[in-house]
Amino acid sequence: MLASGVRAIYGLEIRSLLRDHRTVFISIVLPVVLMPLLLLVSARVEQGRQQRETTRHYKYAVVGSDSLFMLELLRDSVRQDESDPADSAAPTFETVATTDALHDLEVRAIEFFVEGLGPEEWRAFLAEDTARADELEEFHDTPVARVNFRSNRRSSSVGARQLRTRLVEIRRVRRDSVLVQAGFPIHPDDFATLDVVNVASEVEVAGARLGRMLTLFVVLLMMAGGGVLATDTLAGEKERGTLVTLLTTGATRAEIILAKLLAVTSVALVIVLIQIVNLWIYLGLGLIDVSSGFSASVPPATALVLFVLYVPVAALASGVLLVTSAYAKTYKEAQLLFMPAMLGLLLPTLAPFLPEISLSSAIVLVPLANIAIAARDILVGQANWLMVGIAWLVTAAAAAYAGWFAARALEDENLIAGADSDRAEFLGGPALFRKRVLQWFVVFWAVKILLEMNIGFEDIRWTVVFHVGVVFLAAPLLMVWHFKLNVREALALRAPKPGVWLGVVLGAPAALIVVTGFFQLVNLVLPVPREVLESFGQAIMPEEIPVWQIVILLSVIPGIVEELTFRGALLHGLRRRFSPVVLCLVVGGIFGFFHFQIFRIPSTALLGVILSAVTVLTGSIFPAILWHTINNALALYLGSEGVELAGGSWMTYTGAAVALGLALWIIWLNRSLYPDLKGEPPSRRAPGGSNPRSSPP
Amino acid sequence: MSTASVRIEGLTKVFYDDSRGEVRAVDDVHLECASGEILGLLGANGAGKTTTLRMLSTVLTPTGGRAWIMGHELREEPQDVRLSIGFYSSSTALYPKITPRETLRFFARVNRYPAERVEERVELLIDRFGLAEYADSRVEKLSSGMKQKVSIARTLAHDPPVLIFDEPTVALDVLNALELRKIIAQLRDDGKAVIFSTHVMSEAEQLCDRIAIIHNGRILACDTLDGLRGLTGKHYLEEIFVHYARDSQA
Repeated sequence: MLASGVRAIYGLEIRSLLRDHRTVFISIVLPVVLMPLLLLVSARVEQGRQQRETTRHYKYAVVGSDSLFMLELLRDSVRQDESDPADSAAPTFETVATTDALHDLEVRAIEFFVEGLGPEEWRAFLAEDTARADELEEFHDTPVARVNFRSNRRSSSVGARQLRTRLVEIRRVRRDSVLVQAGFPIHPDDFATLDVVNVASEVEVAGARLGRMLTLFVVLLMMAGGGVLATDTLAGEKERGTLVTLLTTGATRAEIILAKLLAVTSVALVIVLIQIVNLWIYLGLGLIDVSSGFSASVPPATALVLFVLYVPVAALASGVLLVTSAYAKTYKEAQLLFMPAMLGLLLPTLAPFLPEISLSSAIVLVPLANIAIAARDILVGQANWLMVGIAWLVTAAAAAYAGWFAARALEDENLIAGADSDRAEFLGGPALFRKRVLQWFVVFWAVKILLEMNIGFEDIRWTVVFHVGVVFLAAPLLMVWHFKLNVREALALRAPKPGVWLGVVLGAPAALIVVTGFFQLVNLVLPVPREVLESFGQAIMPEEIPVWQIVILLSVIPGIVEELTFRGALLHGLRRRFSPVVLCLVVGGIFGFFHFQIFRIPSTALLGVILSAVTVLTGSIFPAILWHTINNALALYLGSEGVELAGGSWMTYTGAAVALGLALWIIWLNRSLYPDLKGEPPSRRAPGGSNPRSSPP
Repeated sequence: MSTASVRIEGLTKVFYDDSRGEVRAVDDVHLECASGEILGLLGANGAGKTTTLRMLSTVLTPTGGRAWIMGHELREEPQDVRLSIGFYSSSTALYPKITPRETLRFFARVNRYPAERVEERVELLIDRFGLAEYADSRVEKLSSGMKQKVSIARTLAHDPPVLIFDEPTVALDVLNALELRKIIAQLRDDGKAVIFSTHVMSEAEQLCDRIAIIHNGRILACDTLDGLRGLTGKHYLEEIFVHYARDSQA
């Protein structure tokens, strides 16, 4: 039944699309011609550039107090070129007289000029520049040649570089000659032979270059082509009045969105297919003679893999476009939202340009960025297929989420009817916080990752204080302030029953061992190199920092602020959305994802689930704070003492699991459940959303 | 248990508006409409007609109360409700790039009309509404009168037992409005339950078997025209409407 509604709407969308010349041109014709056109243009530009660099005639001037020496030196270097008839394509240099070299350089009478300076002159110059004090100490009273050029002019840059190469060569020849004349026992060239070999194949180099740009290019075309259809399909339908017509038919909201998502995804996939076929035809078969740096090998199997890789990208781009279209009330508003959406999607595709970025890092969890890197790795021929698979799944999950989000927009009466507001939107405050808390954490996650990548202090302690203390503390406080939450309720600042503390003291060490055992299990599936773990340990525990400071920085501060953030604000916001068990899993999972090293995510998520359970059972944040602090302090202490929990036997892990169970049982006996949880009978809820403390039977 | 095709009990819709605060657009509405009957919903602009009909067509979710269409409750079985209705309003529109024939085919299919009978149904509607001449031209090329016929035909594409018309004549010229009223009367004769909203008194007088007067979201009266005359002692519908509207504000 579902299929018939989807089929009907999908058919309608595709039929409408094919009858719209503008969409057909942007979605199909443009992608067909754009890549070969770009390749042809870039090939011509590259050929022209190479030709200009090798055949150009450069005019330059020689000035300065030691210009005679310079002229003599330069005559030697230029003469070399002229005396080599085989190298007729090499650049030639012509010395011209000048009275104002800087002016002549400005007006392009010359491409650059060389200053010949005496040793004293150079010493005086270096003495004035404190930044070059080191050079002054190492200066050996030799004549100085200074090449002046303008980097904003390509001919000037290239000419100066060409001449500099020749000067360096002349300097080497003369130095060797002096050494031999002074009785150096062997010719300097015989002292050691230097050979540099690039072991990367031409295909790998080309793959790296092409792979960096491919996803960016493909997503750009997807957005251009899919954008026209997506904008029309929801925002356009709202404006025309056909959306209300559709919403009153037998098709469900899910069917409508699925059909429209499939339609936009189909367009995006056609664009991908066109680009992959373009790559294979023009580069793989060598139809266009591009520079060697781009002549990547794209055999049919690689092309097919790339196509499969881009399927979730197409779905995600389509989902984002649909969300944009669904949340716009008019066609014009959708067009306004289109640009930020496009930039938002293009930004992650620049990930392959980051230096030394690898798919075996937290980037694998960033949709689109992970696929962009995977595409590069595949073209280079060095793909880690497990990580490529994870990247594919992550981006596919993001696409599904975008689709679900767009479907929700069709449930939003405010967007369809434009007449009313949601009750939570109207009331604001805590009611709205429950609705928005996940969005806030998504943004918080993105901000956190950006801050971690870009902000660091010379003293690692300040870095930790900033990233762990300030950022994590700012998040819950900002939420409390923005949504006007009751601080005590939102952060669960309630005293637990005394017996709980016994459970915490017993449970924290046991949980540390259990979590370590879980880490070992995960390590069987996702092995982490030992060097990675060691370097991580050294990074968080530098030897020069006193232990007590490390304990405060990495145990006490995280124990407090991370608990306030996750078991405080996040758990409070989600308490009515999920049943208690799912609530613990969700809060724990999100906590895990905030630990950006991929190997830490599963184990920290498990710890997060345990801490969430403790908070739900006790109704208080304080036991989780103590538990978290003990956990981190103990891990640091054992690490500093060289005790490896990871080497424990199954008996150790089983014993720890039993101890953990016992601790949780003690807490259960002393429980005073978190108030206002989902599934709780209304009679137990107090007016205003919270309820009186519940007691054990 | 009532056998009415449409039964509404205490239907309420509350909006939250930044400037006006809580607005009860529809307030505790009780109505029924049987097969072969046209129930008119008569009210001024902003009275709550469109909101009521949009709730019945599941575009909006009621804040309170319940309603059943052919025995299906709005919130519990929204898809069955939609399969039982044909919804037409001046704000609904057609897809411009497809033809009338494709339009009818699409709405029959998307409303789960038996696949083997879709073509037969499409031909029947083309014939009934006189669409044959331009059945294969794109909708965007048609005149507004032609589009209106196609719109009504697509409302009937899956032969629904309940039809909801929300101010259908509001954007039509006199002749097209007259033709539309004839079609609606024919549909009643075909045994359909028709709910028809309007603010035009003469339309309600001519067309409706029973008239529900709605004002500020509340149903003030619901009866046949003669019944309303008897209750108020007024002859003309306009007088009757003013009588109830003033009473409610007193």
